Amino acid sequence: MATSEPYILFELVGTPYAVPSSVVQRMEMIEHVTPVPNAPSYVDGLVFSRGRVVPAVNLRRRFGFSAAEYDAKTRLIVVTHEQRTVGLIVDSAREFMTIPVDAIQPPPEGLAGTSGNYLSGIARVADRVILILDVAEVLNHGGGQFPTGEDPKA
Amino acid sequence: MATNDQGDLDDLFSDYLVECDEHLTGARSLLLSLESNPGGARREQLDGLFRNFHTLKGLSGIAGVPGAEHVAHHLEEYLGEIRKGAAQLTAAGVNVLVDGIKALEAVIAAHRDHQPQPEIATLTARVKSLLSARTESAGKPPGAVHESQATDRGMAGVPPDKLEAIRVALREGLHAWRVTFVPSATRAERGLTIGSVRERLRAAGEIIVAEPIVIPGAGITFAFLVTSGNADFPAEFTGDGFTVTPYLLPDTVPVPEPVASTMALAPKNVVRVDLARLDDLMRTVGELVISRARLDDALERVARSLSPAEWRELEETNQTVERQLRDLREGVMRVRLVSVRDVFTRMRFVVRDLVRETGEEIDLHLTGEDTEIDKFVVERLADPLLHLVRNAISHGLESAAERVANGKPARGRMDLRATAAGGAVVIEVEDDGRGIDPERVFARARANGLVPPGGWSDPSAVLDLVCSPGFSTRDTIDRVSGRGVGMDVVRRAVEELGGTLDMRTRPGRGTRFIARLPLTLAIADALIVAVGSQTYAAPQTAVREVVMVEPGAITALENNELLRHHGGVLPLLRLNDLFSAPRPAGSFVALVVGEGSQTVALAADRVLGLREIVVRQLTDPLVQVPGLAGATELGDGRAILILDAVGLIRYARTRNRSL
Repeated sequence: MATSEPYILFELVGTPYAVPSSVVQRMEMIEHVTPVPNAPSYVDGLVFSRGRVVPAVNLRRRFGFSAAEYDAKTRLIVVTHEQRTVGLIVDSAREFMTIPVDAIQPPPEGLAGTSGNYLSGIARVADRVILILDVAEVLNHGGGQFPTGEDPKA
Repeated sequence: MATNDQGDLDDLFSDYLVECDEHLTGARSLLLSLESNPGGARREQLDGLFRNFHTLKGLSGIAGVPGAEHVAHHLEEYLGEIRKGAAQLTAAGVNVLVDGIKALEAVIAAHRDHQPQPEIATLTARVKSLLSARTESAGKPPGAVHESQATDRGMAGVPPDKLEAIRVALREGLHAWRVTFVPSATRAERGLTIGSVRERLRAAGEIIVAEPIVIPGAGITFAFLVTSGNADFPAEFTGDGFTVTPYLLPDTVPVPEPVASTMALAPKNVVRVDLARLDDLMRTVGELVISRARLDDALERVARSLSPAEWRELEETNQTVERQLRDLREGVMRVRLVSVRDVFTRMRFVVRDLVRETGEEIDLHLTGEDTEIDKFVVERLADPLLHLVRNAISHGLESAAERVANGKPARGRMDLRATAAGGAVVIEVEDDGRGIDPERVFARARANGLVPPGGWSDPSAVLDLVCSPGFSTRDTIDRVSGRGVGMDVVRRAVEELGGTLDMRTRPGRGTRFIARLPLTLAIADALIVAVGSQTYAAPQTAVREVVMVEPGAITALENNELLRHHGGVLPLLRLNDLFSAPRPAGSFVALVVGEGSQTVALAADRVLGLREIVVRQLTDPLVQVPGLAGATELGDGRAILILDAVGLIRYARTRNRSL
C-alpha cells in the first residue's frame, strides 16, 4: 500500500505549496517568456523548453495575487497532465518532500480566496502547513471564469 | 499506459491496416482498368487481382479478422477459376469484386473500431452464384476444353506479315481455316503422317502458318492456318485427328491499355517506413536547423577577433553546412512526399458508385495525379475531397434532361486537378453543373438566421455561408442551393492543414473549389517582422508581397483603414493594434496576404529578415489564439509566434463588420 508520495515544494506569496512529483517533468530558471497576445491574463506567454514550446501559467495571477517581477529565485515547474505540458511560474522551488497520505486532509469547505479552488488537499508535516496543488484544476482553461460560489473579496 | 504486449499487438494491427489498404488500393485500380472491358482482362491483371485477394486472405487470417478472411477467400476462389480459364470475367463479376472490396473495407473498419461485423452473406452468395453459373455454361466435356486450349495456343503469336497474307486472302473472297492434326501410331500406319497431311492441305489451299504444339502429357499436335477458296474445306478434313475451325483475324483494334496496371503491378523497390520514424528524423533535422542558426549568431560575434583568412575559412564551412543541411532537409521531406494518385483513384470509385445510384452520366477527368504532397496532408485530404466530389455529383450536376434543356452536353463533367505551385499544392474539384446562386444561398441563410461574418456584400459571403456549420440540413433545399452538407468540415480540414479554401462559381456554368495546401508542414521559410518590442514570423507562402507604407498612403474610412495598392485599395489590419503594441511613428511595412477578395494588408513595424523556421503547433488551449498558427525558435532560446494569415483575415473581416 502506498502510504506516502513524493512532492515538489514551491512557494508563492510566502506560502508553501506542493505538487506531486509524478506530474513534474522538470524545473527551470526563467529565461525568455514570449507574451501571447489575447491569451488569458494568467498566461505569461510561451517558453522554449527542451525543443518544445510550452505555455507558461503565472500561478500568482492564476490565484488572483498581484504578479511579481521575475528574479533569480523564480522557477518554471513544467508539469504534464492528460497529455498537455504546461509550465507553472512560481516564486521559488527547491525542496523535495515525501508526504504521508494520512497527513493530507481535504481542503476545508469555504476556504477563502481564489486559490482555494486549486487545492486538492492540505498537509500538515512537522508543524508546517502545506497546500497541495490540484494540477487538473489549475490547467482547466476558463475554469476561473465561471461562478464557483466563492466570494472573491472575502 | 498500454503494456508492451498490447503495444506490440497494436503495432501488428496497424501494420495489418496499412497492408490491407495497399492491397485494396491495388485491387481497386486494377478493377477500374478492367471495368470498361472485362472480357479483355490480361493475364497479369488477373494475376494481380488474385494476389491482392490472396494476400488479404492470409493477412486477415493472421490478424484474426475472420470476416475479412472469409470474403477474401471467396473472391480469390472466383479469380482462381477465371485464371484457370474455367470462367470468364464478366461485367457482373467486376461488380461483385468491387462490392467485395467495399465489404472487406467495411469488415476491417468494423473490426478496428470494435463494431459488430457488417453482413457479408449476401456478397458471398453472389460470388457463389457466379461460380455455379460458370459450371452450367461450361457444359462441354473436359476434352473439349483441352482441345480448345491446344488450338488457342496455335493461334498465339501469328506474325504480322502472315496476318496480312490472311487478310489479303479474305479480301479476295477466300476462307481462312485453322486446322489441327493430332498424329498417332495407328494414323501413321494408314499413311496419315504430318508429311501427307501437309500435302493434302496444300492441295486444298495455301498453308500460311504451320506450327507444332507440344502439350505436356498429350504428345504433339500440329496447327496450320490455311487459306482456301473451297467452302467445303472442313468436310475434307473430318475425323482422323483433324479439327477444323474458321480462323477469325484477331481484332485489329488494340485492347485498350489499362492505365493503372503498370503502376500497380510493376515490382517496386519500396521500403515501407513508419511515419512516426520519419517524424523523428524530421524533428532532428529541425533541431539541426536551429543549431545552425545558433552557430551563425556565434560566428557573427567572433568575426572581429579572427584574422580575415580564418574568418573566410569558417564562413565557407558554415555556408557548406547550410547547403548540406538544406539538402538533407529536402531529402527527408521528399521521403515524406507521396503522390495524390491513391486519393484520386479512390474518388474515381466514389464517382462510379454515385453515378450508379443517381443514374447521372458523368465523365471524371483527373489531372496531375503524380503531384506529390506530404503523407500527413494526403491522409487528411481524402475526407474533404470526398465531400466535395459527392456534393458536386448530388447537388452540382444536373440531370441529363435538365442539361440538354439548358443546351449543355448530356454527360456531366467533373475535373479533379492537382498542381504543385512553389511550396504549395493546389487541389481543385470542378463541375460543369448548375453553379451556386448567391441569392438562393442568401435566402436560405436568412431563413436559418445566419449572417456572413464579413457582411452580405462581402464577396466571400457565399463561401462563408455555404461553409457555416448549420447551413444545409435538408436535401430538397440543398439541391436548390446547389451545395450540401459537410462544407464546414471541408473548410476546417483544409485550414487545419494550414491551407485555404476558395470557390469560384457561375450560375448555370459550374463550380470550382480550390484548396491550397502547404507541401509540407514542419519547416518553412518565413519573413521575420517586428511589431512593437515583439518579433513574429509570417510563412513566406502566405505573403504575396511586402510593401513600404508612408502614413499618407492610408485612407481612414470610419473605423477602417484602407491602403492604396496597385490601383485598388486593401483593408489594413494593424498587427500593432491587434497585439496591443504601440503604432510605429513613421513609415512601416505591410504584408499582403490572402487571395482575391480576401486580400488584406497586415501592418507591422519592419521586416527583420527571411529565415528558415521549424513550425511547432500550439496545441494547448491556453495559447490557442486567433491569428496565431504556431511558434518557432530562431536559435536564441526565445519562442517566436507564427502568424496565421487565414485566421487574421477572418478576424479582420469580422471586426470590420462589427464596427
